[in-house]
Amino acid sequence: MFTEAYMQRALLTALLLAPLCGLLGVFVTARRMAFFSDTISHAALAGIAVGFWLGFTDPTLPMIAVSLGVAMLMLWLREKTDLLNDTIMALLLSGSVAFGIVVLSLLKGYRGELHRYLFGDILSVGPQEVAIAVVVTAIVGTVVFARLNALALLTAHEDLAHVSGISVRGLNYAFVLVLTVVVALSIRLLGIILVTSLLVIPPATARNLASNLRQQLILAIIVGALGGVGGVALSFQFDLPCGPSIVLTCLALFLITLVGRALRKSRRRNLSPA
Amino acid sequence: MAEIHFHPRGLAIEVRGLRVTLGDTAVLRGVDFHVPKGQIVALIGPNGSGKTTLLRCLLGLQRPDAGQVRLLGEEVGPAVLKRIGYVPQRLPFDRSFILSVREFLSLRLRETRGWFWQRHRNTDAHLRAALAEVGVDHLFDRPIAGLSGGQLQRVLIAFSLLGKPELLLLDEPTAGVDTPGEQDFYGLITEVHRRHKLTVVLVSHDLSMVYRHAARVYALNGIICCEGTPEEVMNADSLKQAYGIHVTPYHHEHGPGHHHVH
Repeated sequence: MFTEAYMQRALLTALLLAPLCGLLGVFVTARRMAFFSDTISHAALAGIAVGFWLGFTDPTLPMIAVSLGVAMLMLWLREKTDLLNDTIMALLLSGSVAFGIVVLSLLKGYRGELHRYLFGDILSVGPQEVAIAVVVTAIVGTVVFARLNALALLTAHEDLAHVSGISVRGLNYAFVLVLTVVVALSIRLLGIILVTSLLVIPPATARNLASNLRQQLILAIIVGALGGVGGVALSFQFDLPCGPSIVLTCLALFLITLVGRALRKSRRRNLSPA
Repeated sequence: MAEIHFHPRGLAIEVRGLRVTLGDTAVLRGVDFHVPKGQIVALIGPNGSGKTTLLRCLLGLQRPDAGQVRLLGEEVGPAVLKRIGYVPQRLPFDRSFILSVREFLSLRLRETRGWFWQRHRNTDAHLRAALAEVGVDHLFDRPIAGLSGGQLQRVLIAFSLLGKPELLLLDEPTAGVDTPGEQDFYGLITEVHRRHKLTVVLVSHDLSMVYRHAARVYALNGIICCEGTPEEVMNADSLKQAYGIHVTPYHHEHGPGHHHVH
């Protein structure tokens, strides 16, 4: 099954983006930004619609552009208005989805596209997507590892990070920028609805096994890779939608590690003298 | 005009005419005070007196509308912040973030020797010594999210001391710590102050605890309404006005993730 060119592209993309999501997800979940990334991914639907409307055959670039615009709008509204974070995100999420669906409904012949973007489609991973994924993974991976200390301190306490000489505002914007690009690209595999799960489940799975952040980061990367590749393979084998296959694979790993953790805990309790 | 302190080594904190308005509220209305180097002092004020805003100005987190803040003789900026230690009340992150105490402390080192927090014998010895100084070296490999309030405070002090600060600012150091814990805490602060020869500023709403341990007290209520030795401040009429008629210490708890301006 690995001889098909589109299959190789899908596997390679999954092998790059899923671990990257796992890595970023550790910080996304610790900073309670899961809903934030959900909003970014749903904003991509508006981007896809705009892309087709403007006559793009591949809407990757307009998708990233609109998601970035919405992400920056969220940060701006958070700084400048009294609106609650959840309100801002719900407004932008529902607004983007409604706008995207209305525009796609008006355009003839694109209704079928909706399904593959909502749930992910390995067939839609073209050579161009692979190239973008390689470049983005190389850049994002390098930047995140280079700034790992600053990012960890920012996650622990923003004011403490500031006093320690970190440019908090700059790093916050940079993190959102990186997150948006990775989320928008991962939509090809996971689909808009499920892409956030790749940011949440691998870190949660790693959390079941790890006892410090270093271990959690390494394990989140590994779980992301296993879930991504396993899901794509299942999707191909059984002709399933790609996104749900990846998510179920990750969930299975999460449940196994959760049981393992519970067993380990109960054994430790039994061994330790009361 | 406040009395002028002569101190050969200069001033740790110098605030002149500091004004901050948040929304429609004039939170700081011309704050003036000097903290000489080398002492343990307390900055006290009831809730809503502008303590948090003043602390944010000192740390360069809040831009004042007017006035001047100088720390250790310099304008507030990245250069002088390197010479400052800040001990916040708590860390607001989720329990899913399993940063260990060792990893957390290593974030304060200027040069991290082991890439990606890899264990390194010399670094570990250094970090362990920092923890041992505040009496919690047994917490070395524990996740920081699982620590008690008192343990976390000690780890945060160890974190600050790794940066070799000349000035240590502690935000509500006794909030969420029980009375025996408070005694231990002041013992620790006195020891740290003596050994590192630094200036310590305790920012607190809890007058009764700080006044026994501070050499000077500055009472804030939008302005510095009185300052002096703890006895002088405790007996000042202006303080009784600021706190209401009875000077009764009280505790208040902040829920997790709950922020408000004092």
